[in-house]
Amino acid sequence: MAEIISANDGNFDSFMNGVKTIIVDFWAPTCIPCKLMEPGLEKIAANYQENVKVLKVNVNENPLTSSRFFVRTLPTLLFIKNGLVKTQIIGAANPSQIEKTLLEVQ
Amino acid sequence: MGKSWDIIIIGGGPAGLAAAIYCGRSLRKTLVLEKQVFGGQIVNADIIENYPGFAEPIVPAELMDQMFKQSQRYGVVLENDEVSMVKSENNLWRVDVYKNFFTAKAIIYAAGSTHQFFNVKGEKELLGRGVSVCATCDAPFFLNRKVAVLGGGDTALVDALHLAKFASVVYVIHRRDQLRAEKILQDRVLKNDKIKLLWDREVVSFQGDQKLEAIELRNKKTAVVETITFAGAFLAIGTIPNTELIKNYVNLDDKGYVVTDISLSTKAKGLFVAGEVIKGNRRQVAISVGMGVQAALNCEEYLASLE
Repeated sequence: MAEIISANDGNFDSFMNGVKTIIVDFWAPTCIPCKLMEPGLEKIAANYQENVKVLKVNVNENPLTSSRFFVRTLPTLLFIKNGLVKTQIIGAANPSQIEKTLLEVQ
Repeated sequence: MGKSWDIIIIGGGPAGLAAAIYCGRSLRKTLVLEKQVFGGQIVNADIIENYPGFAEPIVPAELMDQMFKQSQRYGVVLENDEVSMVKSENNLWRVDVYKNFFTAKAIIYAAGSTHQFFNVKGEKELLGRGVSVCATCDAPFFLNRKVAVLGGGDTALVDALHLAKFASVVYVIHRRDQLRAEKILQDRVLKNDKIKLLWDREVVSFQGDQKLEAIELRNKKTAVVETITFAGAFLAIGTIPNTELIKNYVNLDDKGYVVTDISLSTKAKGLFVAGEVIKGNRRQVAISVGMGVQAALNCEEYLASLE
Protein backbone atom coordinates (compact mmCIF):
# COMPACT_ATOMS: atom_id res chain seq x y z
CA MET A 1 0.00 0.00 0.00
CA ALA A 2 1.45 3.34 -1.09
CA GLU A 3 2.01 5.84 1.67
CA ILE A 4 2.47 9.57 1.76
CA ILE A 5 6.16 10.39 1.35
CA SER A 6 7.78 13.09 3.50
CA ALA A 7 9.83 15.30 1.20
CA ASN A 8 12.22 18.08 2.17
CA ASP A 9 14.27 20.90 0.67
CA GLY A 10 17.13 18.49 0.06
CA ASN A 11 15.34 15.69 -1.75
CA PHE A 12 12.24 17.35 -3.25
CA ASP A 13 13.55 17.43 -6.82
CA SER A 14 14.39 13.74 -6.78
CA PHE A 15 10.65 12.99 -6.71
CA MET A 16 9.97 15.06 -9.82
CA ASN A 17 11.33 12.45 -12.22
CA GLY A 18 9.00 9.89 -13.72
CA VAL A 19 5.58 9.89 -15.27
CA LYS A 20 3.44 9.82 -12.16
CA THR A 21 1.27 12.79 -11.22
CA ILE A 22 2.53 14.29 -7.97
CA ILE A 23 0.35 15.77 -5.26
CA VAL A 24 2.29 17.92 -2.81
CA ASP A 25 0.65 18.57 0.54
CA PHE A 26 2.15 21.63 2.25
CA TRP A 27 1.43 21.41 5.97
CA ALA A 28 2.59 22.43 9.44
CA PRO A 29 2.00 20.90 12.87
CA THR A 30 -0.01 23.96 13.92
CA CYS A 31 -2.40 23.62 10.96
CA ILE A 32 -5.43 21.67 12.20
CA PRO A 33 -7.19 21.44 8.80
CA CYS A 34 -3.96 19.93 7.42
CA LYS A 35 -4.12 17.21 10.05
CA LEU A 36 -7.80 16.55 9.35
CA MET A 37 -7.12 16.19 5.61
CA GLU A 38 -4.48 13.53 6.06
CA PRO A 39 -6.77 10.45 6.06
CA GLY A 40 -8.23 11.58 2.72
CA LEU A 41 -4.77 11.97 1.20
CA GLU A 42 -3.74 8.55 2.50
CA LYS A 43 -6.77 7.10 0.73
CA ILE A 44 -5.80 8.84 -2.53
CA ALA A 45 -2.20 7.61 -2.19
CA ALA A 46 -3.44 4.05 -1.74
CA ASN A 47 -6.16 4.09 -4.42
CA TYR A 48 -4.01 5.72 -7.10
CA GLN A 49 -0.62 4.27 -6.25
CA GLU A 50 -0.04 3.16 -9.87
CA ASN A 51 -0.24 6.68 -11.26
CA VAL A 52 0.16 9.10 -8.38
CA LYS A 53 2.79 9.97 -5.80
CA VAL A 54 1.67 11.94 -2.73
CA LEU A 55 4.34 14.05 -1.00
CA LYS A 56 4.06 16.06 2.18
CA VAL A 57 6.26 19.05 2.93
CA ASN A 58 6.44 20.59 6.40
CA VAL A 59 6.65 24.31 5.60
CA ASN A 60 8.31 25.18 8.91
CA GLU A 61 11.24 22.89 8.19
CA ASN A 62 11.43 23.38 4.42
CA PRO A 63 11.20 27.09 3.61
CA LEU A 64 12.96 26.76 0.24
CA THR A 65 10.35 24.44 -1.25
CA SER A 66 7.48 26.51 0.18
CA SER A 67 8.96 29.76 -1.18
CA ARG A 68 9.72 28.19 -4.54
CA PHE A 69 6.01 27.51 -5.04
CA PHE A 70 4.93 30.78 -3.34
CA VAL A 71 3.03 28.86 -0.66
CA ARG A 72 1.67 31.32 1.90
CA THR A 73 -1.47 29.45 2.99
CA LEU A 74 -2.09 26.12 4.63
CA PRO A 75 -3.28 23.68 3.64
CA THR A 76 -2.11 23.99 0.03
CA LEU A 77 -2.14 21.05 -2.36
CA LEU A 78 -0.18 21.29 -5.61
CA PHE A 79 -0.85 18.94 -8.52
CA ILE A 80 2.31 18.49 -10.58
CA LYS A 81 2.66 16.64 -13.84
CA ASN A 82 5.82 16.43 -15.96
CA GLY A 83 7.48 18.83 -13.57
CA LEU A 84 4.86 21.54 -14.04
CA VAL A 85 2.26 22.73 -11.54
CA LYS A 86 -1.06 22.01 -13.24
CA THR A 87 -3.38 23.29 -10.52
CA GLN A 88 -3.69 23.77 -6.78
CA ILE A 89 -6.25 23.52 -4.00
CA ILE A 90 -6.01 26.16 -1.30
CA GLY A 91 -7.69 25.45 2.02
CA ALA A 92 -9.21 22.29 3.42
CA ALA A 93 -10.53 19.81 0.86
CA ASN A 94 -12.39 16.53 1.18
CA PRO A 95 -11.24 13.31 -0.54
CA SER A 96 -13.82 13.71 -3.35
CA GLN A 97 -12.59 17.20 -4.18
CA ILE A 98 -9.00 15.99 -4.25
CA GLU A 99 -9.96 13.01 -6.40
CA LYS A 100 -11.95 15.16 -8.82
CA THR A 101 -9.06 17.58 -9.21
CA LEU A 102 -6.62 14.71 -9.69
CA LEU A 103 -8.77 13.19 -12.44
CA GLU A 104 -8.94 16.56 -14.23
CA VAL A 105 -5.15 16.83 -14.14
CA GLN A 106 -4.40 13.28 -15.28
CA MET B 1 -31.67 2.78 -4.83
CA GLY B 2 -29.36 4.68 -2.51
CA LYS B 3 -28.97 3.72 1.12
CA SER B 4 -31.81 4.98 3.27
CA TRP B 5 -31.50 6.78 6.58
CA ASP B 6 -33.89 8.22 9.14
CA ILE B 7 -32.00 11.50 9.24
CA ILE B 8 -29.27 12.99 7.11
CA ILE B 9 -27.45 15.92 8.66
CA ILE B 10 -25.75 18.11 6.09
CA GLY B 11 -22.77 19.85 7.68
CA GLY B 12 -20.34 18.57 10.30
CA GLY B 13 -19.65 21.77 12.23
CA PRO B 14 -20.81 22.55 15.77
CA ALA B 15 -24.53 22.61 14.82
CA GLY B 16 -24.37 19.41 12.76
CA LEU B 17 -22.36 17.46 15.31
CA ALA B 18 -24.55 18.58 18.22
CA ALA B 19 -27.63 17.52 16.23
CA ALA B 20 -25.93 14.19 15.45
CA ILE B 21 -25.43 13.38 19.15
CA TYR B 22 -29.13 13.92 19.86
CA CYS B 23 -30.30 12.05 16.74
CA GLY B 24 -28.08 9.14 17.68
CA ARG B 25 -29.45 9.12 21.20
CA SER B 26 -32.97 9.02 19.72
CA LEU B 27 -31.83 5.76 18.10
CA ARG B 28 -32.38 7.21 14.65
CA LYS B 29 -30.29 5.88 11.77
CA THR B 30 -28.29 9.03 11.17
CA LEU B 31 -25.74 10.05 8.55
CA VAL B 32 -23.68 13.25 8.75
CA LEU B 33 -22.15 14.59 5.53
CA GLU B 34 -19.35 17.15 5.71
CA LYS B 35 -17.77 18.60 2.59
CA GLN B 36 -14.55 19.87 4.15
CA VAL B 37 -13.27 18.97 7.60
CA PHE B 38 -15.40 17.83 10.53
CA GLY B 39 -15.63 20.54 13.15
CA GLY B 40 -16.35 23.35 10.72
CA GLN B 41 -14.60 26.70 10.41
CA ILE B 42 -13.99 26.95 14.15
CA VAL B 43 -11.21 24.37 13.93
CA ASN B 44 -9.16 27.10 12.24
CA ALA B 45 -9.12 29.10 15.48
CA ASP B 46 -6.35 28.42 17.97
CA ILE B 47 -8.45 28.81 21.11
CA ILE B 48 -12.02 29.45 22.30
CA GLU B 49 -12.40 31.37 25.53
CA ASN B 50 -16.16 31.88 25.66
CA TYR B 51 -17.60 28.38 25.35
CA PRO B 52 -19.50 27.96 28.61
CA GLY B 53 -18.30 25.33 31.03
CA PHE B 54 -14.57 25.73 30.57
CA ALA B 55 -12.72 28.04 32.94
CA GLU B 56 -9.57 27.87 30.83
CA PRO B 57 -9.34 28.46 27.05
CA ILE B 58 -9.93 25.33 25.01
CA VAL B 59 -8.65 24.19 21.62
CA PRO B 60 -11.62 24.17 19.20
CA ALA B 61 -10.31 21.21 17.22
CA GLU B 62 -10.23 19.15 20.42
CA LEU B 63 -13.77 20.20 21.36
CA MET B 64 -15.02 19.28 17.90
CA ASP B 65 -13.14 15.98 17.99
CA GLN B 66 -14.93 15.12 21.23
CA MET B 67 -18.30 15.95 19.64
CA PHE B 68 -17.39 13.83 16.61
CA LYS B 69 -16.53 10.84 18.83
CA GLN B 70 -19.56 11.45 21.05
CA SER B 71 -21.87 11.16 18.04
CA GLN B 72 -20.09 8.00 16.88
CA ARG B 73 -20.69 6.53 20.32
CA TYR B 74 -24.42 6.66 19.58
CA GLY B 75 -24.09 4.94 16.23
CA VAL B 76 -24.05 7.98 13.97
CA VAL B 77 -22.21 7.52 10.66
CA LEU B 78 -20.04 10.47 9.58
CA GLU B 79 -18.81 10.75 6.00
CA ASN B 80 -16.62 13.26 4.23
CA ASP B 81 -18.43 14.07 1.00
CA GLU B 82 -19.90 17.07 -0.79
CA VAL B 83 -23.64 17.26 -1.31
CA SER B 84 -24.57 18.31 -4.83
CA MET B 85 -28.36 18.13 -4.60
CA VAL B 86 -31.12 18.01 -1.99
CA LYS B 87 -34.53 17.08 -3.31
CA SER B 88 -37.89 16.14 -1.86
CA GLU B 89 -39.44 13.20 -3.72
CA ASN B 90 -42.09 10.64 -2.79
CA ASN B 91 -42.28 11.80 0.84
CA LEU B 92 -38.56 11.22 1.24
CA TRP B 93 -35.50 13.42 0.91
CA ARG B 94 -32.92 12.54 -1.69
CA VAL B 95 -29.36 13.72 -1.14
CA ASP B 96 -26.83 13.38 -3.96
CA VAL B 97 -23.10 13.23 -3.25
CA TYR B 98 -20.07 12.51 -5.43
CA LYS B 99 -20.71 9.13 -7.16
CA ASN B 100 -23.65 8.22 -4.85
CA PHE B 101 -26.99 9.25 -3.39
CA PHE B 102 -28.93 8.62 -0.18
CA THR B 103 -32.51 8.98 0.99
CA ALA B 104 -33.84 10.06 4.36
CA LYS B 105 -37.11 10.74 6.13
CA ALA B 106 -35.76 14.05 7.39
CA ILE B 107 -32.91 16.44 6.85
CA ILE B 108 -31.15 18.70 9.30
CA TYR B 109 -29.40 21.29 7.20
CA ALA B 110 -26.42 22.79 9.02
CA ALA B 111 -24.11 23.55 6.12
CA GLY B 112 -22.76 26.74 7.69
CA SER B 113 -21.24 29.54 5.74
CA THR B 114 -18.20 30.34 3.66
CA HIS B 115 -15.76 33.22 3.80
CA GLN B 116 -16.88 36.48 2.33
CA PHE B 117 -14.49 38.03 -0.17
CA PHE B 118 -14.19 41.63 -1.34
CA ASN B 119 -14.26 40.58 -5.00
CA VAL B 120 -11.74 43.24 -5.91
CA LYS B 121 -8.81 43.16 -8.31
CA GLY B 122 -5.95 40.88 -7.31
CA GLU B 123 -7.80 39.12 -4.50
CA LYS B 124 -8.46 35.84 -6.26
CA GLU B 125 -5.04 35.76 -7.93
CA LEU B 126 -3.20 36.34 -4.64
CA LEU B 127 -5.32 34.04 -2.48
CA GLY B 128 -2.84 31.65 -0.93
CA ARG B 129 -0.01 33.95 -1.93
CA GLY B 130 -0.31 36.47 0.84
CA VAL B 131 -4.08 36.83 0.90
CA SER B 132 -5.43 34.42 3.49
CA VAL B 133 -8.60 33.44 5.32
CA CYS B 134 -6.92 31.47 8.11
CA ALA B 135 -4.65 33.36 10.51
CA THR B 136 -3.92 30.31 12.66
CA CYS B 137 -2.89 28.25 9.64
CA ASP B 138 -0.77 30.89 7.96
CA ALA B 139 0.66 33.18 10.67
CA PRO B 140 4.10 31.46 10.74
CA PHE B 141 4.67 32.48 7.10
CA PHE B 142 4.70 36.11 8.22
CA LEU B 143 7.33 36.01 10.95
CA ASN B 144 8.64 39.57 11.47
CA ARG B 145 6.67 40.82 8.45
CA LYS B 146 4.00 43.50 8.19
CA VAL B 147 0.46 42.18 7.82
CA ALA B 148 -3.09 43.49 7.63
CA VAL B 149 -6.31 42.11 9.05
CA LEU B 150 -9.38 43.30 7.19
CA GLY B 151 -12.52 43.50 9.29
CA GLY B 152 -13.74 44.73 12.66
CA GLY B 153 -15.59 41.84 14.28
CA ASP B 154 -14.56 39.10 16.69
CA THR B 155 -12.78 37.05 14.03
CA ALA B 156 -10.73 40.05 12.88
CA LEU B 157 -9.53 40.90 16.37
CA VAL B 158 -8.81 37.29 17.35
CA ASP B 159 -6.80 36.99 14.13
CA ALA B 160 -4.93 40.23 14.86
CA LEU B 161 -4.02 39.08 18.37
CA HIS B 162 -2.78 35.76 17.03
CA LEU B 163 -0.80 37.36 14.21
CA ALA B 164 0.84 39.82 16.62
CA LYS B 165 2.74 36.85 18.07
CA PHE B 166 4.48 36.39 14.70
CA ALA B 167 4.37 39.55 12.61
CA SER B 168 6.42 42.71 13.18
CA VAL B 169 3.28 44.82 13.02
CA VAL B 170 -0.41 44.11 12.41
CA TYR B 171 -2.78 46.68 10.95
CA VAL B 172 -6.47 46.14 11.59
CA ILE B 173 -8.19 47.85 8.67
CA HIS B 174 -11.88 48.51 9.10
CA ARG B 175 -14.41 50.24 6.92
CA ARG B 176 -16.13 51.90 9.88
CA ASP B 177 -14.89 54.17 12.67
CA GLN B 178 -15.61 51.70 15.45
CA LEU B 179 -15.21 48.00 16.07
CA ARG B 180 -18.10 45.64 16.65
CA ALA B 181 -16.09 42.87 18.34
CA GLU B 182 -16.46 41.77 21.96
CA LYS B 183 -15.25 44.51 24.32
CA ILE B 184 -12.67 42.23 25.92
CA LEU B 185 -11.08 41.66 22.50
CA GLN B 186 -11.12 45.38 21.72
CA ASP B 187 -9.40 46.06 25.01
CA ARG B 188 -6.65 43.53 24.28
CA VAL B 189 -6.11 44.89 20.77
CA LEU B 190 -5.89 48.49 21.92
CA LYS B 191 -3.34 47.53 24.56
CA ASN B 192 -1.17 45.54 22.13
CA ASP B 193 1.78 47.64 20.93
CA LYS B 194 2.16 45.60 17.74
CA ILE B 195 -1.42 46.22 16.57
CA LYS B 196 -2.44 49.45 14.85
CA LEU B 197 -5.89 50.44 13.63
CA LEU B 198 -6.82 52.09 10.35
CA TRP B 199 -10.41 53.32 10.30
CA ASP B 200 -12.82 54.12 7.48
CA ARG B 201 -10.81 52.32 4.81
CA GLU B 202 -12.22 50.17 2.07
CA VAL B 203 -10.14 47.85 -0.07
CA VAL B 204 -9.72 48.89 -3.70
CA SER B 205 -7.30 46.18 -4.79
CA PHE B 206 -4.64 43.71 -3.74
CA GLN B 207 -1.36 44.21 -5.56
CA GLY B 208 1.61 41.99 -6.26
CA ASP B 209 3.24 39.72 -8.77
CA GLN B 210 3.20 36.07 -7.61
CA LYS B 211 2.76 37.22 -4.00
CA LEU B 212 1.03 40.04 -2.17
CA GLU B 213 3.06 43.22 -2.03
CA ALA B 214 0.55 45.96 -1.18
CA ILE B 215 -3.09 46.81 -0.56
CA GLU B 216 -4.74 49.77 -2.21
CA LEU B 217 -7.18 51.46 0.19
CA ARG B 218 -9.68 54.27 -0.10
CA ASN B 219 -10.56 56.44 2.85
CA LYS B 220 -14.35 56.53 2.95
CA LYS B 221 -14.48 59.95 4.57
CA THR B 222 -11.82 61.81 2.56
CA ALA B 223 -11.87 59.67 -0.65
CA VAL B 224 -8.05 59.65 -0.54
CA VAL B 225 -6.58 56.51 -2.09
CA GLU B 226 -3.36 55.14 -0.61
CA THR B 227 -1.24 52.06 -1.31
CA ILE B 228 0.37 50.44 1.71
CA THR B 229 2.89 47.60 1.51
CA PHE B 230 1.94 44.39 3.28
CA ALA B 231 3.33 40.87 3.13
CA GLY B 232 0.05 39.35 4.26
CA ALA B 233 -3.65 40.23 4.25
CA PHE B 234 -6.09 38.27 6.37
CA LEU B 235 -9.74 38.54 5.40
CA ALA B 236 -12.25 38.58 8.27
CA ILE B 237 -15.19 40.42 6.78
CA GLY B 238 -17.90 37.92 7.52
CA THR B 239 -19.42 34.99 5.75
CA ILE B 240 -22.09 34.07 3.26
CA PRO B 241 -24.56 31.28 4.08
CA ASN B 242 -24.40 28.00 2.18
CA THR B 243 -28.10 27.83 1.39
CA GLU B 244 -28.06 27.38 -2.38
CA LEU B 245 -28.95 23.67 -2.12
CA ILE B 246 -32.18 24.27 -0.18
CA LYS B 247 -33.29 27.61 -1.60
CA ASN B 248 -36.45 26.09 -3.13
CA TYR B 249 -37.61 24.65 0.18
CA VAL B 250 -37.06 27.54 2.59
CA ASN B 251 -37.71 31.24 2.99
CA LEU B 252 -34.50 33.18 2.45
CA ASP B 253 -33.78 36.81 3.27
CA ASP B 254 -32.05 39.10 0.77
CA LYS B 255 -28.62 37.90 1.92
CA GLY B 256 -29.45 34.23 1.54
CA TYR B 257 -30.03 33.36 5.20
CA VAL B 258 -32.93 31.07 6.15
CA VAL B 259 -35.79 32.82 7.87
CA THR B 260 -37.24 30.57 10.57
CA ASP B 261 -38.27 30.60 14.22
CA ILE B 262 -37.48 28.62 17.35
CA SER B 263 -38.93 25.48 15.72
CA LEU B 264 -36.05 25.60 13.21
CA SER B 265 -38.45 24.05 10.73
CA THR B 266 -38.94 25.21 7.15
CA LYS B 267 -41.81 25.36 4.72
CA ALA B 268 -40.85 21.86 3.55
CA LYS B 269 -41.93 18.98 5.76
CA GLY B 270 -39.01 17.14 7.33
CA LEU B 271 -36.44 19.82 6.56
CA PHE B 272 -34.90 21.50 9.60
CA VAL B 273 -32.10 24.04 9.76
CA ALA B 274 -29.44 24.88 12.33
CA GLY B 275 -26.40 27.07 12.80
CA GLU B 276 -24.99 29.76 10.57
CA VAL B 277 -27.44 29.31 7.72
CA ILE B 278 -30.10 31.01 9.86
CA LYS B 279 -30.91 34.71 9.75
CA GLY B 280 -29.82 36.58 12.86
CA ASN B 281 -27.26 34.01 14.00
CA ARG B 282 -24.34 35.49 15.90
CA ARG B 283 -21.66 33.04 14.75
CA GLN B 284 -20.88 31.56 18.14
CA VAL B 285 -20.10 27.89 18.73
CA ALA B 286 -22.38 27.82 21.79
CA ILE B 287 -25.30 29.15 19.74
CA SER B 288 -24.73 26.71 16.89
CA VAL B 289 -24.54 23.81 19.34
CA GLY B 290 -27.82 24.89 20.94
CA MET B 291 -29.49 25.20 17.55
CA GLY B 292 -28.27 21.77 16.55
CA VAL B 293 -29.82 20.28 19.66
CA GLN B 294 -33.08 22.16 19.10
CA ALA B 295 -33.27 21.04 15.46
CA ALA B 296 -32.59 17.43 16.43
CA LEU B 297 -35.31 17.41 19.09
CA ASN B 298 -37.85 18.97 16.74
CA CYS B 299 -36.82 16.58 14.01
CA GLU B 300 -37.36 13.67 16.38
CA GLU B 301 -40.84 14.98 17.19
CA TYR B 302 -41.57 15.18 13.48
CA LEU B 303 -40.40 11.60 12.82
CA ALA B 304 -42.41 10.31 15.79
CA SER B 305 -45.50 11.98 14.34
CA LEU B 306 -45.11 9.91 11.17
CA GLU B 307 -45.16 6.62 13.08
